[in-house]
Amino acid sequence: MSMMGTTVAAEPDLVLEADLARLIVAALSLEVAADDIAPEAPLFGAGLGLDSIDALELALAVSKAYGVQLRSDDERNHRIFASLRSLAAHIAGHRTR
Amino acid sequence: MADAALNPQSEWVRAPERGNNFWLRVMIGITRTLGWRAGHVLLYPITAYFLAFSPRQRASARQYLDRALGRPARLADLWTLYFTFAATILDRVWLASGRTGDFSITVQGLDALRARVEAGQGCLLFGAHLGSFEALRAIADAGCPVEVSILMHEANATRVKAVFDTLGGAGRAAAIIPLGSPDSMLRVREVLERGGLVGLLADRAPAGQRLHLADFLGHPAPLPTGPHLLAAVLGVPVLLAFGIRTGTRRYEIIFREFAERVAPAGRAGREAAVAASVEAYARELEAMCRAHPTNWFNFYPFWQAP
Repeated sequence: MSMMGTTVAAEPDLVLEADLARLIVAALSLEVAADDIAPEAPLFGAGLGLDSIDALELALAVSKAYGVQLRSDDERNHRIFASLRSLAAHIAGHRTR
Repeated sequence: MADAALNPQSEWVRAPERGNNFWLRVMIGITRTLGWRAGHVLLYPITAYFLAFSPRQRASARQYLDRALGRPARLADLWTLYFTFAATILDRVWLASGRTGDFSITVQGLDALRARVEAGQGCLLFGAHLGSFEALRAIADAGCPVEVSILMHEANATRVKAVFDTLGGAGRAAAIIPLGSPDSMLRVREVLERGGLVGLLADRAPAGQRLHLADFLGHPAPLPTGPHLLAAVLGVPVLLAFGIRTGTRRYEIIFREFAERVAPAGRAGREAAVAASVEAYARELEAMCRAHPTNWFNFYPFWQAP
């Protein structure tokens, strides 16, 4: 991985975020519009109200679309799954497609 | 979704669990210092105490027994139910630490499980608050070649983990996967990918879970859809697993084929398939309850949509 890939965190990738929002809505058959998912709002619990089975489906969809494997032994999971923005940032740093 | 209102998130659900753990600690203390016989003798006053001083739980137990037995429950039936419950807690002290030498444990339907294990195919095991799920650990201790994990609600997981830590050391504690974290199900998937087994109790819904009303002993009961949805998403086979107490230090472990695939891959038609799977589970559970009526440990209004 290049140095570029690991230092992108500062600027959110708005195109990727919009793309990921559409993937979440489609993969989980949500009744909200992709545009209505606030990038910083929590995905689980209070915010979008996803549960751990949703997280599993989301992980499967993310792996298929971006080639990023989300594993349970990643200690940063709570941060990665915190919001659309944090998930997109993680994907940006690790995507293979 | 209208189903969301059907959540048995009341004191009822939690109270038996709390008492359960208090008595488990008491039992561990007594049996460690005075031995099994002392613990066993204590079951009688403990049963009498709970039978006498838990009118709400008793009403729920009676309603269940009426329906499982198909006739009005007698005091003797209630006594046996409460006594069996207390006895499984006592036995847990041994079963949880793998000291099964003084137990007579028979296994039914092991071939179905063995075929899967030998093929390296991860399976979900659906149990219930029926008998002792801990008895299933005897399988793990009897040289099951794959890892066995149990998925459980976080608060219970913390307490059960503390008990396992006391009794059996770190290896056992690691086998519990707590619900309620975004990556809980990722852990389940990883165990299954390694060809392991993951057990869970599919008859009670933790707070916030979706429920489906399924016919159970002649009346609609709210059952959680989560376990079935999990099986559908993972696309793994499901077996039923129960550890039935059949007598003093006697258990029968029962494995049953349940579903090769709960629902087709993809979301189309999944909701209906999951509902059908919950109903099939309710029928299997009903048959187990009729065969072993006094192993039922849901001491709350099981059929009630609170």
